[in-house]
Amino acid sequence: VTMSGGSCKANGAVYPASSAGMNSVKKPKMEQIQADHELFLQAFEKPTQIYRYLRTRNLIAPIFLHRTLTFMSHRNIRTNAKRKTFQVDDLLQRVQLYHHNLTISACFLTEKPSQNSENEQTSVSLEVLLVKVCHKKRKDVSCPVKQVPTGKKQVPLNPDSNQTKLAPYPSLLVSSSEFEPSNSHMVKSYSLLFRVSLAGRREANGLVNGEANENIDVTETPSRKKRSSSHREEDGSTETYVAQMTVFDKNRRLQLLDGEYEVSMQGMEDSPVSKKRATWETILDGKRLPPFETFSQGPTLQFTLRWTGDAGAKSTAPVAKPLSTRNSDGSSPMETRTSHHRAAPLAVKDSLSMDIQTRRELVQCEPRQKLRIFYQFLYNNNTRQQTEARDDLHCPWCTLNCRRLYSLLKHLKLSHSRFIFNYVPHPKGARIDVSINECYDGSYVGNPQDIHSQPGFAFSRNGPVKRTAVTHILVCRPKRTKPSLSEFLESEDGELEQQRTYVSGHNRLYFHSDSCMPLRPQEMEEDSEDERDPEWLREKTATQLEEFTDVNEGEKEVMKLWNLHVMQKGFIADNQMNQASMVFVETCGPFIARRNLCRNFLLHLVSMHDFNLVSLATIDRAMARLRGIQEELGPDVEPLEPLEHTLETAASCNGTIGASGGGSKLGKRTKCGMND
Amino acid sequence: MGAVCRSRSTMVLTGKRSEKGPACWKRRVKSEYMRLRQLKRFRRADEVKSMFNTNRQKIMDRTDVLNQEWKTRRIQNILSAYQTLYVSPLRPQCTVDSGFSEFPKQVIPLKTLNAVASVPVMYSWSPLQQNFMVEDETVLHNIPYMGDEILDQDGTFIEELIKNYDGKVHGDRGERRPEALVTSSYTRACRRAGCCSRNHSSSNDSSKKFPSDKIFEAISAMFPDKGSTEELKEKYKELTEPQLPGALPPECTPNIDGPNARSVQREQSLHSFHTLFCRRCFKYDCFLHPFHATPNTYKRKNMESLVDNKPCGSDCYMHLVQAEEVKSPSKRPAAARRRGRPSSRPGSPSVSSETKDTDSDGEEGTSRSPTPVTLKLTCEPEPVDWSGAEASLFRVLIGTYYDNYCAIARLIGTKTCRQVYEFRVKESSIIARAPTEDEDEDTPPRKKRKKHRLWATHCRKIQLKKDGSSNHVYNYQPCDHPRQPCDSSCPCVTAQNFCEKFCQCSSECQNRFPGCRCKAQCNTKQCPCYLAVRECDPDLCLTCGAAEHWDSKNVSCKNCSIQRGAKKHLLLAPSDVAGWGIFIKEPVHKNEFISEYCGEIISQDEADRRGKVYDKYMCSFLFNLNNDFVVDATRKGNKIRFANHSVNPNCYAKVMMVNGDHRIGIFAKRAIQTGEELFFDYRYSQADALKYVGIERELEMA
Repeated sequence: VTMSGGSCKANGAVYPASSAGMNSVKKPKMEQIQADHELFLQAFEKPTQIYRYLRTRNLIAPIFLHRTLTFMSHRNIRTNAKRKTFQVDDLLQRVQLYHHNLTISACFLTEKPSQNSENEQTSVSLEVLLVKVCHKKRKDVSCPVKQVPTGKKQVPLNPDSNQTKLAPYPSLLVSSSEFEPSNSHMVKSYSLLFRVSLAGRREANGLVNGEANENIDVTETPSRKKRSSSHREEDGSTETYVAQMTVFDKNRRLQLLDGEYEVSMQGMEDSPVSKKRATWETILDGKRLPPFETFSQGPTLQFTLRWTGDAGAKSTAPVAKPLSTRNSDGSSPMETRTSHHRAAPLAVKDSLSMDIQTRRELVQCEPRQKLRIFYQFLYNNNTRQQTEARDDLHCPWCTLNCRRLYSLLKHLKLSHSRFIFNYVPHPKGARIDVSINECYDGSYVGNPQDIHSQPGFAFSRNGPVKRTAVTHILVCRPKRTKPSLSEFLESEDGELEQQRTYVSGHNRLYFHSDSCMPLRPQEMEEDSEDERDPEWLREKTATQLEEFTDVNEGEKEVMKLWNLHVMQKGFIADNQMNQASMVFVETCGPFIARRNLCRNFLLHLVSMHDFNLVSLATIDRAMARLRGIQEELGPDVEPLEPLEHTLETAASCNGTIGASGGGSKLGKRTKCGMND
Repeated sequence: MGAVCRSRSTMVLTGKRSEKGPACWKRRVKSEYMRLRQLKRFRRADEVKSMFNTNRQKIMDRTDVLNQEWKTRRIQNILSAYQTLYVSPLRPQCTVDSGFSEFPKQVIPLKTLNAVASVPVMYSWSPLQQNFMVEDETVLHNIPYMGDEILDQDGTFIEELIKNYDGKVHGDRGERRPEALVTSSYTRACRRAGCCSRNHSSSNDSSKKFPSDKIFEAISAMFPDKGSTEELKEKYKELTEPQLPGALPPECTPNIDGPNARSVQREQSLHSFHTLFCRRCFKYDCFLHPFHATPNTYKRKNMESLVDNKPCGSDCYMHLVQAEEVKSPSKRPAAARRRGRPSSRPGSPSVSSETKDTDSDGEEGTSRSPTPVTLKLTCEPEPVDWSGAEASLFRVLIGTYYDNYCAIARLIGTKTCRQVYEFRVKESSIIARAPTEDEDEDTPPRKKRKKHRLWATHCRKIQLKKDGSSNHVYNYQPCDHPRQPCDSSCPCVTAQNFCEKFCQCSSECQNRFPGCRCKAQCNTKQCPCYLAVRECDPDLCLTCGAAEHWDSKNVSCKNCSIQRGAKKHLLLAPSDVAGWGIFIKEPVHKNEFISEYCGEIISQDEADRRGKVYDKYMCSFLFNLNNDFVVDATRKGNKIRFANHSVNPNCYAKVMMVNGDHRIGIFAKRAIQTGEELFFDYRYSQADALKYVGIERELEMA
C-alpha cells in the first residue's frame, strides 16, 4: 500500500539548462540561449508530444501492462506460486461459497468506553441488511438496489475484554439462498449494511467530548458534529450508525473472508454510500486523517465473520489475507481491518505475504540509494547538448516508475524508440545520452490487410475474396541475455541491431508494373514477366524485317514466323534446333501450307543446315510433315490474307513513319548493308 | 489548303503569260518546290492524324473491355450500403436543417473516406526479357524537362546537352534537317518540275520524255548546293528509271513461291536467309547482334551420309546409273564414289565461283556444258520443263545433298529423281565439285594429349586469366581469320576472351573453352565454367545437365539460370527506401539466381551522353556491362530495374559470359524471405559504374 504514498510526488528536479562548450565558459547572451533552446525544442518537441499522447492513451485504454514485461517483473505483485498447488477442486470450492451461510457475531464499541458512567446501556440493536445492487435494465435510470433484511439482534455495547473471551456474542445468520442468482434481476454485487441503533444516550456524548478536549484538535471536529446530532437526540429519536461492506464485488469476487473485522461506523446523517468519499484517505470535515485514526475516533463494530457449510461441514472458506492484497479497487468507503489488534494493522501471517513483503523491501532499496539520473539531450546534429536530472527512476516521458535503472533503460529503449538512449556510468548515478533516432521506422507492423485493403473494391465483393498470405509470429522466444547495464552502453562500431519483423510475407499492396494499378490478391500468381515475348517485341521484329527492301515477301513471312516461334519458345542451344524445327512445322505448318510458303520454308531449313544447326534428317522429316499437312488441308484451300496486312496495321500504330515517310513499302534498310 | 491551290494556279498562269526566260523558270521551280514541301507537310500531318486516330481507337476498345468487366462486378453504391448497414444513432451523422418547418431535416450517416496514398512517379518503359542492342543516337530525341527550378539553376545544361549531339535535335526544321530528307524532297521537286515543264511548255521540249535543260539550270541556280546541272540530270534519270510497276531492287531475289520466281544460283536463293540469320540468337535480324556471320565459312562437323544404297523405286535413276556402271566401271559416278568414303566430306557446300548467271528463260537450251561430263545417260532424257523455282531449288539442294538425287527429288516434290539426275547432268558444269579434304585445315588442331592433362592446362589458363585481368572485360566478337590459328592476332585472344562455338576457327582451337564435365551442380569453383564466370554452355557441358530438361525448371546444373530465364517472381510496390522498390514473392536461398538485369545495350559513349541527363533526373538505370557496352534499363528493361541501392544489400550483381554474350545476373547474397525488398550494391566491382549512379546513391544514403 505504501506504493501509492509519497513516491507519487513529482520529484524531478529540473536543473537549469546548460549548453555545452564555450557557451558555458563565456557568459552567453540571452538571444543565444533562446536560439539554442529553439533548436532544442525543434529536435525534441515532436517525439515528446507523441509520447505524451501515447502515455495518456495507455492510461485510459492500455494495450499492454507494464508489469507483464520481463524487465518490469518487479512491478508485478502477484505471483504464480499458487499455480503449483492449484487443483481443480479449488474452483469448486470457490463456487460453493455461494452455498455457504454467513454467520456474523458482533459487538459494538463506541469511541470511548467510559468506565465510570452510570446507567450504562449494555446492548444496542444491530440490524444487518443484505444490499443487492442489480444490473441495470434498459428502463432503469440507475442500478436498482434491493435491501433484504436478514435479522436484528441485540449486541453488547462496549463489552468487557474479559467477557469477550468467555461468551460468544450473539450471532446473525445470512442464508446462502440469498446469494443465489435466482432473482429476476441479475445481481451485480452484494454488500452488508450494518445498522446500529443506539437509544437514549443523553449525557454520554457531552461528557465524552469534554474529556476529549485535551486531545488534539482533530477530535474537536467530530465532537461538534456529534453534538448537533445529540441535539436531535433530545427530540427523542435514537441515534443510528451505519456501515456497509462488500461481500461480492461486481466481478463476483469474494471480498469478505473468514476473520475478525472491525468496521468504523458513521452517523446516519452521512450518506452511507457516498461516491465522493470513495477515496483512500479518510477525510473528516475536509481534513485528512491518518489511515487508522478513525478506529480510535469513531464508533466501531467488531464482528467475527464465518462462512459455514450446510451440514456442519468443515469450513473450507479461505481465510482472509492481509489487507494489501485485496483492496485494490477501493470501492469500499471505509477502512477495513482484519486484525483485532489495532497496533499491528499489517499482520503478516503466511509465507506468501512474507515473500511479497521482502520483495517490496527490495524494491524500495534502490531508490533509497538516491540515484541521480542525468539526461543529456544531444541535438543540432549532436553538436549541442542540454542536461536535465531527476532523482528517481521515473520515465520522463510517460512518468512510469521503473524502480530500477536497468528497467528504466530497457523501457526507454523499447518504448521510446524515436530516441536513441546511451547509458554512461556516472559517480552520482547514471547519465543517459538522448538523441533523435534518424532511422526510426514508424511503419505499420500490424495486420497489413487493415491498411492495404484494395482501394475501390471495398463493396464490390461477390463472394469470397482471396487475400494475400501473411505470416504472423504469435510466439517468439528469443534467447535472452542476462540483464546487464552494459547493453545500453554506446556500441563501438555503431552497427544497427537487426530488427526482426514479426509480420512477414506480403504485408504491402503491390502494383502492376505496366499500369501501376493495384495488384489484387487473386492476381498474385501471374507474373507479368512470364512471357518471353511481349507484344511490342513481336511487333518490333515484324516491322524490322518488313523494313528490308531487298528481301522478298516470301522470305519475310517465313522469317517472321520463325522469329516469333523462337521468341516464344526461347531456344538457347544448337542442339535444340532439330527439335525446334519439328515443333515449328507442327505449329506453323498449316499456315505455311496455306500461304504457299513451302519452298521458302525449305530454303530456311537448308540455311539452318548450312549453319550446322539442323541435320539432313531433320530437313527430310520436316518437309515430309509439311507435305502431310498440305494433304490434310486439301488442294482447294484459298490462300489466307497476307500476313503483312495484320502486321502492318500493327506497325503503323507504332510510329514507323520514319524519315523516309514512304511507309513500309519503301523500307530504309537493306540486308547487304547489314554486314558492313 | 485552298489558299495553296489558288496560289499555284496563278503561278501557272503567270508562267504561261510570261516569256520563257530563266527568271520565270526559277520562279516556277521555287513555287513548285514550295508546293511540294507543303504537300509533304500535309501528308505527314494526315499520317500523324490517322495514326493518332487508330491509336485512339485501340485505347477505346481496351476501355470498352474494361468497362464491360466493371459492369459484371456489381459494385455496390457506397451510400446505400451505409444506409442499410449502419443506421445507428451512435454513428456520426451529417444533418441538413433547412430552418423551415415544411422541409424535413435530412440526415445521412457520415463516413470519412480515407485518403488513398499516391504512388511514386514512374516513367513509362517497355518490358523486356533479353537485352536489346540499340545504335548511338545522333540527334537529341527530346529536350528533357525536369522542372523549372532545375533549369533555372543550371541554364547551360540544355545547351551543353545539345552540343553533345552536334546541335542536332529531333524534329528540327530548316538547315538542321537531315541531309537525306532534303535530297529526297528536293529530287522529287525536280521531277515534279520536270512534269510541269512537260505539261505547260511542250513547245520547246527537245524530247517528250526528258525535260529541258532549262529546268535543270533553273533548279541548279535555285539550289546551288545540290550540284551542277549535269549532276541533276543524272539524278533525274536515276530516279525516273526504276519507276516500272512491280519492279524490285536488282539485289532482291524474287519470291521462290511466287509467280515471278526466277532460276537463280544457290547463293542468291539463300542470300537473305544467310545474311539475316543470327547464329547466336537463332533468329533473323536479331535484336542483340548487329553483325551476323554468313555460313559459308562454317565447317561441317557431322557429315551425315543420307545416300541410300537402295533405289527409291522402279523408276529410280539408280537403275540407269548402275547400268552405266556395269558398262564402264572406270567412270564411276559421284554417288558411287561417295559411297566409298562417306564420312570424309567436311568441306563447305560452296558453289564454284566461276559459274555465270544463267538466264531466267529456257535453261534446257542455254545450258552450256563444255566441260567434261562425268555422267552419261544411257537413254534419252525425258523432255521436261524446269520452272525457275524448281531450278533454283535444285541448285540449293544439290549444295546440301550432293548426289542424293532421290532426296532432292523428294524435296522438290514436282520432279522425279530421274529428271533431277538428268538435270544434274546438264548442269554439271556449274555444280560444285565435291569438297576435298584439305579445305578444312584452316586452324591447326591442338595435339592429341591425354584428356586430363588437357584439362589441367585449361584450368590453369582460366586461373591465369582471372588473376591477370580483372579490370577489363571486353565484349566478345566471333573471330574469323581463315587459315590462321588463334594466336596473338586473333581478336578473341587480344580481348582475353575464349573462342566460342560461334567463332570460325576450328573446334580444336587452343583458345576454345572446353566446357565442364561436372556431375554436380556447377555452383562451386570446382566447376571450370563457374570459375571463369561463365554459364554452362548447353553445347559444350554435356554432363552437368545444362543440356537437358528444356521444359522443366529442375535442372541439376545451377549454372545455367540466366540463359534459361529461371528468374524469380518479383512484385512491384512503393519502396521502404525511395521511390518504387521490388519485392520477392517466394523465399530464396543464398546465391540463388533472382533475375537478369535487362535493358538496352548501348555503347560507352552513348552511356556518357545519356548519363548526363539521368544524373540530372537523379535517377539512372545504367549498368556497366563490359569495356565496350553499358546496359540501360531506362527505356526498356525488366522489373529488377526497380531494385534500390544499399550498402548492406541482400543481392549482388555478377556479369557473366552466357553463350558468348555478357549478361548481368542478380543473385541472392543471403537467404531472402518472402516479401523482402531487394537491394544490391550499385557500385558493384567496377569503378566506373559509379560515375553514373553517384548522385542517386548519395541521395539514398542520406
